[in-house]
Amino acid sequence: MKLTVDGNRCTGHGRCYTVAADLLAFDDDGYVTARGQLTDVPDNQIPSAREAADTCPEGAITLTED
Amino acid sequence: MTQAADEDQDVAERVGGKCPVIHLDVSTPLTVGSYWQKADELRERSPAFFNAIGQGYWIFTRYEQVRDIYQHPEIFSSESITPWEPDPAYRFVPTQIDPPEHSKYRQLLSRWFAPNAVNQITPAAHDLCRRLIAEIAPRGSCDFVSDFAMRLPTEVFLTLLGLPPTDADLFVPWVEDFFRGFGGDQAQQEAMLQALGGIRGYWAGALDERRDEPAPRDGDLASHLLHSTVDGAPLGDDLILDMLVVLVLAGLDTTRGQLGYLFRHLADNPDDRHRLAAEPDLIPSAVEEALRLYTIIFGDGRKVTRETDFHGCPLRKGDMVYGLVSGANRDPRMYERAHEFVIDRKANNHLGFAGGPHRCLGAHLARRVMQVAVEEWLKAIPDFRVATEEPLLERGGGNMMALFSLPLTWEVEAA
Repeated sequence: MKLTVDGNRCTGHGRCYTVAADLLAFDDDGYVTARGQLTDVPDNQIPSAREAADTCPEGAITLTED
Repeated sequence: MTQAADEDQDVAERVGGKCPVIHLDVSTPLTVGSYWQKADELRERSPAFFNAIGQGYWIFTRYEQVRDIYQHPEIFSSESITPWEPDPAYRFVPTQIDPPEHSKYRQLLSRWFAPNAVNQITPAAHDLCRRLIAEIAPRGSCDFVSDFAMRLPTEVFLTLLGLPPTDADLFVPWVEDFFRGFGGDQAQQEAMLQALGGIRGYWAGALDERRDEPAPRDGDLASHLLHSTVDGAPLGDDLILDMLVVLVLAGLDTTRGQLGYLFRHLADNPDDRHRLAAEPDLIPSAVEEALRLYTIIFGDGRKVTRETDFHGCPLRKGDMVYGLVSGANRDPRMYERAHEFVIDRKANNHLGFAGGPHRCLGAHLARRVMQVAVEEWLKAIPDFRVATEEPLLERGGGNMMALFSLPLTWEVEAA
């Protein structure tokens, strides 16, 4: 699975890196560092990735199956 | 036909056939829960209304639409965020600045309220909270709103910005006076202006004290802003004061309001209280659930920048819209068990901190203050209840909702 964060939609709510702390990190301004990149989701992190996507108030996170 | 009915017909023609016209006053204090109930009723009756009060404004009631408003600042401007005040005399920065200018000012502040900054002062927040509770606990009762919920966020806020937490003695009465002034009598409105002058004067004094220093003070926002530039130019005192004053007005009263509703829930629900005491890892999700279900934001206003059709409504340039956040956060189209407090709720994408570029700057701080409050309070006072049979009153949705008071009581062991 791959995870992408739409950098235009993300406004730094910080919900994704809170519910998926082992998968996603944040920068000094409070934005998730994965903005605008393709992030590989290890199999054991798939539930966290799904929760991050469902918890984002901006709907900025997209998951794609490999 | 009466004049009022004539006017209603004019409005009905103007808004088109699909959208009910209502006359809703959101300013009056009501018993707790009344405003959420009103939001629920509106949302289930129609996705859109036209509220023919004052100059009139559109109300959008469901999650999808409220998020749409937040995410399209090019159509929904923050020039006014109060639907019954389309041309405000004041300007909050960066609250009322639209993209692309908005991010220049927002960037100056975002780091100060980001998780790293909040994590850094979290040990101090725990200390401040324990000290407050140690004063309150032996009494066996308190007014949670004035004795704790206003005090804690103010002390933590001052610490975050590099100021002495004891200055809360000044800020607490200013903020109280300011918010009492909305819709208050003449004396209360005068007190409101004096309070605003007090807050601005405090910051002006802080700027004077720091002005001639060659480098910004570590961990001191006022000093940092004096050394900041936008488009290569210093900000100037007026703009810096606009920014610092709005932080106080946006940050302290709101956290107080949200804490009041959360602790009322805990007082009335011993199972949830005991579960959080036993499983403190659930405190963050309980806080998010309070921000969803018990949102203090009845609605949020925006000003329409151009003619557009929005979810079937013919909006014109200059119209005001009101995104009903309390309708969105409790929308059963988005949430299962939407009207229940689900302590470990997943996928809680609530809009209690707004959305889009104006997402609440202080969100990370506010949720941390609430988490610390729950954790420390339950350690010291695990069992408590509301001390009155009288219905509690909440301030109207015209500005942020809040309980006026929350009398709590608990057993104190004999020394």
